[in-house]
Amino acid sequence: MSEPTVVLGAGAPARVRRSRVIDRGFRGTTLVVGLGLIALLALMLVELTTGAWRTFDAFGLRFFIGTSWNPVSGREDFGALPFIFGSLVTSGVAIVIGVPIAVGLALLLNQVRGSIANPLTVFVDILAAIPSVVYGLWALFVLKPILDSSVEPFLIATLGKVPLIGALFRGKAQGPDLFTAGVILAIMILPIVTAVSREVIAVVPRDLREAALALGATRYESVRLAVLPYARSGIIGASMLGLGRALGETIAVSLVVGNTPRIGWSLMQPGATIPSWIASSFREATSVGLHRSALLALAVTLVIVAFVLAALSRLLVRRTSDLVGGSAADEVVTEGIYPRAG
Amino acid sequence: MSAAAGTVSLGPVRGIRRAKDTGFTVFLWTCAVLALVPLTWIAFYVMSKGIGALSWNFFTKVPAGPLNPEQGGIVQSFIGTGLIVGIATVIAVPLGILSGIYLAEYGKGRTASAIRLVAYVLLSTPSIVAGAFIWALVVVALGNFSALAGGLSLVVLMWPIVAIASEAVLRLVPQELREGALALGLPRWKAIVRVVMPTAGAGLLTAVMLAVARALGETAPILLTALGNDYVNTDIRAPTDAVPLRVYDYARTPVEALHSIAWGGALVLLVAVLFLAISARILSTRQQKRIA
Amino acid sequence: MTKIRKLTGAGALTLTIALVAVACSSNSSSSGGSNGGFEGVALTGAGATFPDPIYEQWFKDFQQVESGAKINYQAIGSGGGVEQFTAQTVDFGASDAPLQADEIKALPSPYIELPTVLGGVVIAYNVAGLNTGLKLDGETAAKIFLGDIKTWNDPAIATLNPGVSLPSTPISVVHRSDESGTTFVYTSWLSSQSKDWDTKVGADKAVQWPTGTGGDGNDGVSAAIGQTDGSIGYLSFDFAVSANLGIADIKAADGSFITPSIDSISKAGGGLTFPIKPTTNILNSPASGAYPIATTTYLLLYKDGTDANKAQTIFDFVTWALTKGQATVQQLNYSPLPSDIASQGLTALSGMTANGQPLTASAAVTG
Repeated sequence: MSEPTVVLGAGAPARVRRSRVIDRGFRGTTLVVGLGLIALLALMLVELTTGAWRTFDAFGLRFFIGTSWNPVSGREDFGALPFIFGSLVTSGVAIVIGVPIAVGLALLLNQVRGSIANPLTVFVDILAAIPSVVYGLWALFVLKPILDSSVEPFLIATLGKVPLIGALFRGKAQGPDLFTAGVILAIMILPIVTAVSREVIAVVPRDLREAALALGATRYESVRLAVLPYARSGIIGASMLGLGRALGETIAVSLVVGNTPRIGWSLMQPGATIPSWIASSFREATSVGLHRSALLALAVTLVIVAFVLAALSRLLVRRTSDLVGGSAADEVVTEGIYPRAG
Repeated sequence: MSAAAGTVSLGPVRGIRRAKDTGFTVFLWTCAVLALVPLTWIAFYVMSKGIGALSWNFFTKVPAGPLNPEQGGIVQSFIGTGLIVGIATVIAVPLGILSGIYLAEYGKGRTASAIRLVAYVLLSTPSIVAGAFIWALVVVALGNFSALAGGLSLVVLMWPIVAIASEAVLRLVPQELREGALALGLPRWKAIVRVVMPTAGAGLLTAVMLAVARALGETAPILLTALGNDYVNTDIRAPTDAVPLRVYDYARTPVEALHSIAWGGALVLLVAVLFLAISARILSTRQQKRIA
Repeated sequence: MTKIRKLTGAGALTLTIALVAVACSSNSSSSGGSNGGFEGVALTGAGATFPDPIYEQWFKDFQQVESGAKINYQAIGSGGGVEQFTAQTVDFGASDAPLQADEIKALPSPYIELPTVLGGVVIAYNVAGLNTGLKLDGETAAKIFLGDIKTWNDPAIATLNPGVSLPSTPISVVHRSDESGTTFVYTSWLSSQSKDWDTKVGADKAVQWPTGTGGDGNDGVSAAIGQTDGSIGYLSFDFAVSANLGIADIKAADGSFITPSIDSISKAGGGLTFPIKPTTNILNSPASGAYPIATTTYLLLYKDGTDANKAQTIFDFVTWALTKGQATVQQLNYSPLPSDIASQGLTALSGMTANGQPLTASAAVTG
């Protein structure tokens, strides 16, 4: 979008000049603040890498693909792979379960107006504030027993038999596992993904939907053709917020995931994620020996993983055409609504 | 006749279309149930376990010792949370909204893409890492734990949330509004501040509220930066307590009597955010009315 | 938009002001007896989680003795305690494990390390059909945690428990996933009892466990054991008391099986030797009736304090804790130090000075 020029009446050059200065100042301020985010990340990386250096020095790139974690002095060996695996798997489960439900709820909240929608909306919002330790304890004492006794055996008995995805659901239901961690993460990201999706869907111009309905589309079709394409990039943004929360969650996950560094096909087995492992060990790890340094190296690993995921999702958004404002609506109207004669 | 992607064909396949529509409605309501059941359960769980702890002492006294906890309370935690989250909000919200404005209004080039990417990466910072970072930077420099350090560690977590959420809602303000404002002679910055932002007002408020809610519930970073305190502290350069920290300690201690107080603290947090969320909703509806 | 920002700022400010108002009105400290002597000042300490409840109780009780002594202690873990103590961001530290050689080297000035209270680590289990009091010894426990013994009716367990009907349930091992002093004590004991364990795993606050799942914290382990039939794990004694799980009797050096209790743990304390060294421990105590997996927790102080008031407060508090304070520990399921050990602790404390001047306990404490 090029800098738009505005033609004013004669006799206003001073005002225009001052406006331009304020304009540039405003833009400059927002730019500086935006760059501040980059400075923050850079600073954080510097601090983390300084602490993690001794580990990278000792293990090199082997750290990222190593599978063993032994902090006992004299036998120190550190590898990040099991934790990368755990983080990706639990966040993946959280997104696969959580995002569709959150978007569904957001769509519903936008359709049901007034007296039902508002309290529901407020209710979902307040749950964003529950301390993660509360989620964790509820997951440990309420969710896990339920999953262990009903949901997981059911999944193992049904989906476990299906070829290919069956491998995800093998093994013993009892005990801590990646699936339970994924489910509690899905619940934890519901408030934030629902809230942002709700706002994004609410701003879709009503005439788009009404035009679709007027042309005979069912409610489902009007959503699919008029609402979702317009709101798609916003919903992806909402999902990214959820993914960020899921990747960074520490306490709740550490209470139910089993904290066992391992890599395997089944979701019904215990595992470990990067933040839950860091949180578990950080308070006791001392700077003497490599242990604390290795934990900081794990933190750097998570930043790298988040970086890769963010870049991938940016590509995804670009592919689904990152459109702003009217052009999205145009595309929908011309390609989506008018029935083809045939 | 074939149905190309994104087209609607009328006529004999009416049954399938109706089925899909019904299926969709069923799906929506299933989502609502699946989302609301666990959330309601957690809310009731916290309420039932925490309601017993609420008392005058709970809100006005400091802890009395594990042998007779009902004689004391956690007033220092409430004050501490107010202090720490207050500091964090006052810093993170303006920074986040300004970042969001840059990304939505001026953000076309590579700089903007870089900033966006960085925001997403910062978003997944584990809270404990944010704490460790600020510990190394602020606590060691100042020589002691402080509410200021606690607030700064929350800024690391809140800033990206506000930035990304505000960008998302600002982007959806229709382009015609911007163009209209400019056509009327408003300078660019005024168009943004006086037209675009008010239109997105409800969404911006939600973005802020989400970030504050997240900050209210954080434990790990506060542990490493503000340390916690068994006494009331209002000096931002001294160790300060926070409600989620207290909840974490008390809920996991072997002393049964302290568990109830922990849940009481969690319940108060819920109510506080309820208050915030309702205010945000009222403010935004009032806003929408004024614009429409 | 500025209005929203103003509103949020105003809201936050109002909330803060309101809370501060409440704070000022409730800032009155408890009515400690003002006896005209030294009143004590505010202190900050951090460290071990194990003694947190008793320390909290002690600080509250001590405030009755010296009304100005507001001691703020936060349980961030032994490692954290040592770290903050070394960085001098706190006035005193607390650790479940004695300072190791490299940690001592990192300290900026001479230190004093002394024990405050005793505790123990128990082996807890949840097996349908098994009551509490199953007999185990070090060799067998090590084999279980190594994964060599896989079912409850294994001959090794049966030999130790003649007459007890053992089910064929597979054993599910639960260990700590977070670093802790409890793990340090337990693995140290296993290393002392089993050459195999010592070679394959070793002893530390966190180790690479050959088998089993990890629970976060004592409460995580306790929940994990309680939720799965056939589980076995280790817990800090004060936790096990409230956990409602089976607790094993451990074989002592003289062949008898000891049930963990406040009393049997206390008996183990007699073996504590001064000065405290990196290898100091009270495991496998030879005293009769002493529980084999007992431990103590340490307080870390700097020998010479630069702030006279703070130094005096610490000095008074520790004196009080090692004498009058020992009377309350049992109520929170800790074991008191044997009196001669407490005296040796006081002797170690007497080396403390403030700006070079030796310290003596205030009247409020000795009276």
